[in-house]
Amino acid sequence: MTKPTIPIGVVCSLSGPYQDMGREILNGATLAIDEINESSDFDFSLAAHVRDPRGIISEYHRVCDEIVRDTGARHIVGCYTSASRKQVLPIVERTERLLWYPARYEGFECSDNVMYVGASPNHNVLPLVRHVLDNISRDIFCVGSNYVWTWETNRVTRELVTGAQGTIIAERLLELGESSVGHIVDEIVRRKPPIVFNTLVGSSSYDFIRAFHQATSAAGLSIPMLSCSLCEPELKIVGTAAAGCITSSAYFESVRLPENVAFVGRWKARYGEASSPSVDGQSTYNAVYLLARALHRAGTSDIAEARRAAAGYLYNSPQGPIWIDGRNNHCALTPRLAVSNPDGQFDVFWEADAPVRPDPYLTQLDVSAAAVSPAALAPRSNQSHLRVVK
Amino acid sequence: MSRPSAFSLRGRVALAAIHDPRDLSAVRRQFERLGIEIEIWQPGVPCHRRPDVALLDDDYLPLAASAQLNLPTGCPVIALLGTETPSRLKLVLELDPASFLVKPLRSAGLYAALILAFERAARSAELAEQMARLEDRLRSRRIVLAAILQVMQERTIEEPAAFAIIRRAAMEQRKTIEQVCAEMITGRTARAAHSV
Repeated sequence: MTKPTIPIGVVCSLSGPYQDMGREILNGATLAIDEINESSDFDFSLAAHVRDPRGIISEYHRVCDEIVRDTGARHIVGCYTSASRKQVLPIVERTERLLWYPARYEGFECSDNVMYVGASPNHNVLPLVRHVLDNISRDIFCVGSNYVWTWETNRVTRELVTGAQGTIIAERLLELGESSVGHIVDEIVRRKPPIVFNTLVGSSSYDFIRAFHQATSAAGLSIPMLSCSLCEPELKIVGTAAAGCITSSAYFESVRLPENVAFVGRWKARYGEASSPSVDGQSTYNAVYLLARALHRAGTSDIAEARRAAAGYLYNSPQGPIWIDGRNNHCALTPRLAVSNPDGQFDVFWEADAPVRPDPYLTQLDVSAAAVSPAALAPRSNQSHLRVVK
Repeated sequence: MSRPSAFSLRGRVALAAIHDPRDLSAVRRQFERLGIEIEIWQPGVPCHRRPDVALLDDDYLPLAASAQLNLPTGCPVIALLGTETPSRLKLVLELDPASFLVKPLRSAGLYAALILAFERAARSAELAEQMARLEDRLRSRRIVLAAILQVMQERTIEEPAAFAIIRRAAMEQRKTIEQVCAEMITGRTARAAHSV
């Protein structure tokens, strides 16, 4: 018997400054859709209507509008940057569609028409910065792409660093796609910061990592780098220069779970032995599964029913148990920290004991000095006995 | 001791005077996400909790008196507007709103409106305090002038040198110049000031 078909939109940029991540999103979605269509667990098939906005922000609005008008899809999977999500948001809210957004983002948003499947800031930025403050340094040099992800990540980092009586040594921003990184690398070599936090995305990040590695090696410096976005396909693009980067993510290919071993096997069987699923590809795969399970549970593609059905419905994904928190439509995930190695993989050195509830507005954020190790804190100045009178 | 982020609103109490159940539902959902406790206001029913912020629906305007809300001093008001007509805005302005939202409400915008309202209230309170301090200082100018003249006469020095002595005394005693001057005039710390 032929299964009924439910149309869904898939929005990913297959060209432009973050085309590699767009390809990951498409690969993750396609793998999940094909598995679901072949599975007897689902009494329907998903028909993907893929649209490519080519990394052009205004195109996201157009292609989303096209999906809504022409395909009858009530559910859309995709978008990568926050700027692209913001373009799609008015359409899904106005036409009562549901966007299943797979990327990590900076938080401080909670639309009833979006399922935020990627990491919230309490899943990636907080554990990373706390690790640095506890174990490496209280002083951080920040370099990032000039957009909302970097602005907010730097803002949170600054709050935590200041709470620990440390300093943000510098905050350098480059436009998206900008490749002139030499002046920032020169400054880093000159100032020798104890650590560099890289929130650049796409090609800017690859250019920066290569130039940073070359310049610091030539100067005999060993400066660790931090990232909340670096992933396995990018390690392969950048090469061995990307080794040694301390990275925070809910997923790494090297996660040792039976579900992940099986998932990586299926991924490589489909996309080639040399391919590696990234957190974005894996998260998109999860998004499609969360959507399909919600549709199956609800028995309809109505978005209010699907949203209700998805809430709290645990899925044993390749990255471990995950679920949508019905209070804020964000996903509960397991934060992990890892270091990139020269083989293009990550060695995980820490992970949370259990999935962590999403806190998109960072309502639980504790910026007190006590939130980091007391050993990392030392008094810096003596207070004057004089009161300055003006 | 833990310290929340400056941008965390967890633990705040909001008085919600909201007419439409759908608007109220949107506010409830978003406040739960933000960790804000909500107290529902209804006309004629006294509110027993002290709110940190009030959301006031323009459907409830005009209030017979804003005292009906019984808001504590400095509590910022966020106006919820259903129409932008000047007649309605005039009523809203009487509440001196710190921020506003346009109905129908949705989750987007609430957090920003709250942050703006709290910031506006904090700055207004700071300005009021500053103004009170300046008024005090203005009133005490005569006392400062008298104290400077006293030091000038006693030590046969010019005005800048006399002021420097008083300023030094204020710094050492960790008091304001006005306080030291008042005490000098009454003779209590004259010796301390003179011995600098």
